[in-house]
Amino acid sequence: MTPVIECEQLNVRFRTDSGEVTAVSDLDFSLNAGECLGIVGESGSGKSQTFLAMFGLLAPNGMASGSIRYRGTELLNAPRSALDDLRGNRLAMIFQDALSGLTPTMRVGDQMAEVLMRHQGLSRRDARTRIIEALEVVRIADPERRFAAYPFEMSGGMRQRVMIAMATLCRPEVLIADEPTTALDVTVQAQVLRLLDGLKKHTGTSLVLITHDLGVVAGLCDRVLIMYAGRAVELGPVREIFRRPAHPYTQALLRSMPSLNIDPGQDLPVIPGQPPDLENLPGGCAFASRCLHTLAACGTGRPRLQTVGAGHARACHLPA
Amino acid sequence: MNSALTVEHLSVHYSLPTGGLFRRRPLTLKAVDDVSFDLRAGETLGVVGETGCGKSSLGKGVLQLVKPAAGRVLWEGRDLCTLTPGELTSVRKDLQVIFQDPLSSLNPRMTIGEIVAEPLEVHFPELGRDERRRRVDAMLERVGLRPEMRNRYPNEFSGGQCQRISIARAMISEPKVIVCDEPVSSLDVSIQAQICNLLRDLQRDTGIALLFISHDLSIVRYMSHRVLVMYLGRVMESGRREEFFGAPRHPYSQALISAVPVPDPDRTPAERSLVLDGELPSPLDPPSGCVFRTRCPLAVPVCITQTPVLSEAAPGQLVACHRWEETRKGAGP
Repeated sequence: MTPVIECEQLNVRFRTDSGEVTAVSDLDFSLNAGECLGIVGESGSGKSQTFLAMFGLLAPNGMASGSIRYRGTELLNAPRSALDDLRGNRLAMIFQDALSGLTPTMRVGDQMAEVLMRHQGLSRRDARTRIIEALEVVRIADPERRFAAYPFEMSGGMRQRVMIAMATLCRPEVLIADEPTTALDVTVQAQVLRLLDGLKKHTGTSLVLITHDLGVVAGLCDRVLIMYAGRAVELGPVREIFRRPAHPYTQALLRSMPSLNIDPGQDLPVIPGQPPDLENLPGGCAFASRCLHTLAACGTGRPRLQTVGAGHARACHLPA
Repeated sequence: MNSALTVEHLSVHYSLPTGGLFRRRPLTLKAVDDVSFDLRAGETLGVVGETGCGKSSLGKGVLQLVKPAAGRVLWEGRDLCTLTPGELTSVRKDLQVIFQDPLSSLNPRMTIGEIVAEPLEVHFPELGRDERRRRVDAMLERVGLRPEMRNRYPNEFSGGQCQRISIARAMISEPKVIVCDEPVSSLDVSIQAQICNLLRDLQRDTGIALLFISHDLSIVRYMSHRVLVMYLGRVMESGRREEFFGAPRHPYSQALISAVPVPDPDRTPAERSLVLDGELPSPLDPPSGCVFRTRCPLAVPVCITQTPVLSEAAPGQLVACHRWEETRKGAGP
């Protein structure tokens, strides 16, 4: 399998008034052609910042170091002109909040046309035809009329589908979907997930799905990367992660997630404590203070990712 | 069984001003339309539905935070809809609320000790300072916060901790009912379970009744004894948790339940779920007859002309559907 995206030793830091905050530390992963990689973590785990860095969209006080390559081309801190040729074209991103991802003062069709005119040199007329087809694919009713609508005239689910249509106009090789369904109702979520699944199967697009919902991951992803406090804690094939989670954090997440299969008569097992404070990360394993089984080593040394099975690795000091 | 709270034919309407040069009649949005239920002591009633189904308006109507257009909310023999603001204040000791966004529902200029003490000052003015402090400390401890935190401000706390503060504020006046409006939706997965368990613990200890409003069916199943499903302001189905999740009768309930992603990689949602097509109709112009008919896989002509009434499909299970007797044959979860 050829990786399309290779990320090595990525570090993302932010300068703030109270000092430097590390959002992503020493992150390594790759995305293979045609696969869907799930990235799971809670707020502050660094899952979104990783891809904002890749797209050159970090906030002004953010700095990224390390390497993220698309087919060998370095993306991290690449000049804007180089990124502009790739973004929206070969690499696309869908943001969580579809209302802020669309320009409020531009008609939906016009903002979509911009993508095709910029990257494929299409005329406005040809772009319109392609866009109406794309809106049909995402099942927007009456696409001719919706072409001329403003984002505020659409429901949340419709805007999210417009974002997907826009992100896929140029048939990107890589699509990053950052919590694409978090703001949506379950029935709309099911529609959007079906769309993404179809996209992966029919166009061979490689997909990164950033989410906190393990149910969504189970339905769509081939491999999963679990992040905690800016670091990878576990990486593996989706079945392995669900059947044999190797990191205590993954195990705890799976246990504490309410699903339709749990016994409501029993209390949900919880992960005690609070998510880590990125300004004051402990020296050792960041999860140690919430972990059920800690060793002396957990307080001092940072665990590295180590293989525990085929394609399956975890960062933990506990004996496997 | 004694009912803590009885809601009869409650409707909440919002009137929207129409803009433009020509003044038309103001539009009426029926956010809640003819909803009835009762809530018993020690029980949790889960209210589920999608954005815009009226579940939050229902909570606000019950608490008289918006004035219902019609219907009654009976509490200890009195109809809350007819009480004066002064009388309502005294009732609020017993009926409390927890909102979705924990930080914005706490006054940023008050310490958490002051926030939690405020209901005591209003409802138990006879308490001395020391007694008030003692109760605040005990309540902070009960919800999992350290009493020494009382002098800190809300912005110093995480989302989960802020929700604990909201719960402490709601619980301190020893209420009988708490309306929880999406209390865990903005929290991380690992914190959701903590807050859900805390609410269940408090219910076990105090026999409090919860009206638990959420769009998350997994959490509603975990929290609720009974469930009420709303769509465009109307009740589609209600029943006990076991029957509702085990054998949902309304096609909308079936679609909702089957749309929940299952954390099992061997069951792909694309194959399994009954995906509803189309958009939620505008609540300003709801469909005639059954409001769900425009997205219903079972709709027939009678659904256009007649509004289905709630009928008893099984003991305690009410369904508003012309074709509920056939739903088991159709698609199910």
